[in-house]
Amino acid sequence: MTTLALEYFRSAPRYVGARTLGSKAPGLIAGPLAPLRLASVKDPEPPAGRSGWARVRPLLSGICGSDLSTLAGRSSFYFSPLVSTPFVPGHEVVGELMDDCGDLEAGRRVVLSSVLSCEARGEEPPCANCAAGDTGRCDRVAVGHLKPGLQTGYCNQTGGGWSRMFVAHRSQLHAAPDGLSDAVAVLVEPFACAIHAALRARVEPDQSVLIVGAGTVGILTLIALRLFAQPGHVTVAAKHEKQRSAARLAGADEVVRPEHATKSVRRHTSALKLTPERGPDFLMGGADVAIECVGSRSGLDLALRSVRAGGRVVVSGIPATGADLTPLWFRELDLVGAYTSGTETLPDGTREPTFDLAIHSSQDLPILERLVGATYPLDRWRDAIDHAMSAGKLGTFKVAFAPQG
Amino acid sequence: MKAADEVKELARGFRWGRRPMVPRSAEPHTEEREDVGFPTDWARTEAGVAARQAILRGIMHPLVRNERSLRVFGLDHLQDVRGPVVFFSHHSSHLDATLILCTLPDRWQRRTAVGAARDYFFDVWWRQAFTALVYAGFPIDRARGGKGIDKARELVRDGWSIVVFPEGTRTPDGHMQRFRHGASRLALELGVGLVPIAIVGAYQAMPKGRWWPGKGRPVVTIRYGDPIYPQEGETHQSLSLRMQQAVAQLFDEDRTTWFDAISRAERSETPSLAGPVAPAWRRTWEGSRPVARRGPPKAWE
Amino acid sequence: MPRPGFVLEVDERTPPLIVHEGEGYRMQKFPLGTRVVYPPDALPGLRDLNAHIRQALLNPVGDSKPLPELLFAGMRLTIAVDDISIPLPPMVTPDIRQRILEHVIELAARAGVDDLEIVVATALHRRMTAAEIRRMVGERVYRSFWPTHLTNFDAEDKDGIAHIGQTEEGEDVEIMKRAAESDLIVYVNINLVAMDGGHKSVAVGLASYKSLRHHHNVHTMLHSKSYMDPRPGHSAINDSTIRMGRLLASNGLKIFQIETTLNSETFPAQLGFLNKREWEWSTKDQALMMAAKKANEVAPPRVRREFFRRIEASYKVTGVNAGEVEAVHERTLENLHRQQVVEVDGQSDIVVMGIPYVGPYNVNSILNPILVHCLGLGYLFNMYRNKPLVREGGVAIMYHPVPWEFHTIHHPSYIDFFEEVLADTTEPKEIEDRYEERYATDPWYVHLYRTSNAYHGVHPFYMWYWGAHGRDHCGDVIFVGGEPKSVARLGYRRADSLRDALEMAKDSVGPSPSITYFHAPPIMIADVR
Repeated sequence: MTTLALEYFRSAPRYVGARTLGSKAPGLIAGPLAPLRLASVKDPEPPAGRSGWARVRPLLSGICGSDLSTLAGRSSFYFSPLVSTPFVPGHEVVGELMDDCGDLEAGRRVVLSSVLSCEARGEEPPCANCAAGDTGRCDRVAVGHLKPGLQTGYCNQTGGGWSRMFVAHRSQLHAAPDGLSDAVAVLVEPFACAIHAALRARVEPDQSVLIVGAGTVGILTLIALRLFAQPGHVTVAAKHEKQRSAARLAGADEVVRPEHATKSVRRHTSALKLTPERGPDFLMGGADVAIECVGSRSGLDLALRSVRAGGRVVVSGIPATGADLTPLWFRELDLVGAYTSGTETLPDGTREPTFDLAIHSSQDLPILERLVGATYPLDRWRDAIDHAMSAGKLGTFKVAFAPQG
Repeated sequence: MKAADEVKELARGFRWGRRPMVPRSAEPHTEEREDVGFPTDWARTEAGVAARQAILRGIMHPLVRNERSLRVFGLDHLQDVRGPVVFFSHHSSHLDATLILCTLPDRWQRRTAVGAARDYFFDVWWRQAFTALVYAGFPIDRARGGKGIDKARELVRDGWSIVVFPEGTRTPDGHMQRFRHGASRLALELGVGLVPIAIVGAYQAMPKGRWWPGKGRPVVTIRYGDPIYPQEGETHQSLSLRMQQAVAQLFDEDRTTWFDAISRAERSETPSLAGPVAPAWRRTWEGSRPVARRGPPKAWE
Repeated sequence: MPRPGFVLEVDERTPPLIVHEGEGYRMQKFPLGTRVVYPPDALPGLRDLNAHIRQALLNPVGDSKPLPELLFAGMRLTIAVDDISIPLPPMVTPDIRQRILEHVIELAARAGVDDLEIVVATALHRRMTAAEIRRMVGERVYRSFWPTHLTNFDAEDKDGIAHIGQTEEGEDVEIMKRAAESDLIVYVNINLVAMDGGHKSVAVGLASYKSLRHHHNVHTMLHSKSYMDPRPGHSAINDSTIRMGRLLASNGLKIFQIETTLNSETFPAQLGFLNKREWEWSTKDQALMMAAKKANEVAPPRVRREFFRRIEASYKVTGVNAGEVEAVHERTLENLHRQQVVEVDGQSDIVVMGIPYVGPYNVNSILNPILVHCLGLGYLFNMYRNKPLVREGGVAIMYHPVPWEFHTIHHPSYIDFFEEVLADTTEPKEIEDRYEERYATDPWYVHLYRTSNAYHGVHPFYMWYWGAHGRDHCGDVIFVGGEPKSVARLGYRRADSLRDALEMAKDSVGPSPSITYFHAPPIMIADVR
């Protein structure tokens, strides 16, 4: 049997086309240069003879920045051995179980923790990271009885969220509480990432923080920071009006346009601002921590140039290449990555799976209801991708597929 | 304001080069765009028909003949049939539609359109244009069930015969998949005949995933069958089943003889095309078994 | 089922929106959050119009016999028709009035009626030209009756006017004598807006200045909120015409009223984008808009005007009702509201309106500054029920170039009104007290009204009163792109762009006002809750 799915396939001409023309004519990436096709693909099947797998019917499936950079040919070849093509993208998923899966009965609404770690791959004993609960750091994402794929949505075998059906392992599934609407549930995965990033930032009480970017990731990171740390002054740099108003709502102390960010951080930290002959201004002194949530070169530059000596820069978006790392060396900064989620150590020392934190705390955050700004059926995928590519400009945070529609 | 600035502003405001966008508050008041983008009716005008026949006879047919040995049987079944009818076949290869259109007699070729998946063939303008021009293609929306065949209904009412592949997609392993019910529903609704077609060897010549036939002029046989008509009070499920059997019988006829095939069909012993219930490799293995050439071997082989 | 109207909220995804400004239009990017009121889609027209007309005449509503039974040999029959002020723009021929007239005259001919007069109910409007009348009534009617038995009404013909009596409020009722003495008046109406039709048809259309002054005055206009809302108690002018109409009925006048409603296909297919919502424009629509806009801008003014004058609306008829006046009008309004009403939630600080090239009083003519005032603050402003779109003290921003330009044949008294009266004062009450009488009785204007094609001397006053309620209600009125001199003469302000206008409006409504753009034409009525 077959399933309707949006499939990513390798295509050299489209890759070259998207890379060269994509920035000039972004419309082409959702148009003829998209390395995607809507097709009836063979039903994904779990590895033969393995238990703990079940079919999932996605109800909402988000379009993530990493998906877009893959389509635009901008993601690094570093990933190439970690994926198996053709694959069905989509790793931010709320869905409905079609089969019983361990203690979860069929029909149950679930959210997906997308990493395909040791447990899903049948690696026994698990790698040290998985054993410690840090599944995001799993060393075995390219081996085991599954095809390579760092997450569901990059693995040829499991299918992904941009389809009518895919398979998932029990270790990836978390029951969605009944009170949680689909529109919020689809944000649980990015919210878990945001919580992870916020905790990776190890913000001490009253330290000043700069968040670069207020798209979905930026807003969720800001919320997570307010929930799980006690930052002092939080500045958010955001490009679009709607993002700025959302950041204000989510608890930023100050919201500025990116071009005014260094100026604003300087005022609060009484730093010195210097202007190099070329390139943007930088601070001597500055914020204690900066979290980069855009994934652009200018975003990372801004973060690196706005933290104090010995401060910390957290890279939460997929890092762009080309940023100037001089401040990292000269100011002796900590550069910290934050990828997906796992198990968190809370300030009081307890250890909790990130997803549990995300599911639990998303239930009383009304602002999350407003982040999914548009949903599209699969057959309007070009509209969806095009919309997602200029979501900020169009006043949307998250664009999602409603694959059953 | 200068004209250039105005155009620039218009381009920005209407997002030229990007997908059209509906304001958020207007969404409940804006109908979903039906038949996304590209109309196909132009391809069924007199000029369109002439252009298509020129392409089919001048390019496609010679190309097909050049790349493989083509054998056609059973066109006599169409002799006394009055159109429109629904041609249907199992779907083994991208060649199927070309083979059918190229082998149809002129009377039918002129007024036959091919149903194609909207989500793929009507997705971007150049593929739409190609599909419409060469195949008189019209969209079938496989994601939408009963509503997906609206265009087919309109065409048959206009007197056009149509070609459909009730499996909905090409076979992954050479075996026939379950028929979907769009074609049988349409036939029941409009009372038109259904002409079965078996295409033997196309999967071997150009299976899913290939864009050009394999080397060595593989043999492809196209066998037209007797039209079947919906019976009084018949359900679409049972009609779909009869359609599958009709194709299976044509395959049987190709493998053995017409008489054997009939008598086996009478005894309900027609070999199934569903393939063995077995691991995938065996299904593919059986499905891709080369078709034997009949008659004496060529001197140089 | 055509889609109902709705209120759009401008967001980042909204394209620039079209705004009419006289003989042209512009694409305007509105601030985020602006509400835009869109009219309902055009209703489908009646399929077999002739059958519907026949049906209406044979099965009248209210207390009325079928038309054939009202017609008899030897009777005096007067048929009155609405004049060129409706519909706007003129509809493609055959005009609905022609089709109805042909049916009525056919019945009259069969009944053996000999004494039949057709009169164009112009009241104090200009006389229609022969060509205009022929276009309206069709060749057959024209050839049979023009010019002896098909005429323009003359409100200044002292011998042709009959005083019927006074209403309980002391209002004089004077109408055309021939009509008053007829055995039956058949009135053929087009109901383009809610103000039209009903008792207004005969009691206003065939009335004299002496009668009209009782409701066409500043006091009634300030107490008509709005004059487009004919429910009792909402519109003083409508209440007054109802009193007059009922007086006519109680004096034995027999009126067989035929009312029609049109859908909203205001623009012909070539300008189809004007009937569509912007985000549904195809690339072709956008190209057409741009090409038309540029061609329009470079065209010499005369060519441009000629182009606009030639626009014919592809209106379709949505309803025909006949019979007793009030019963008919009730049904007409129902039909009209089905096409025109849009519910709007609450008022805003600023209303934005684009003023199109044509109003009721400049068909085949020029929209002079006084008519701009009337079309904007009179007609468009009053297209509401319950409450105006803009709050009291709010700002009206209108788009029109307001050129200092008049049609010398059609609007002679307007020129003097603009140069003499408005130079002195713009206060409606003061104008009424000090100038109206003189202009209304000026013999030269009367002469031009009766013999040429001029509006009556008092007509510019009515235009000024028509906008009195809007003027009174708004704290400020700003014309985007208006000619400085003429806008100043009207007593308003002008700005170069919407941005400037909004900046100026801050004085009245503060720094972050709520804005509503009334996206007309097509015509609609905002039902403000």
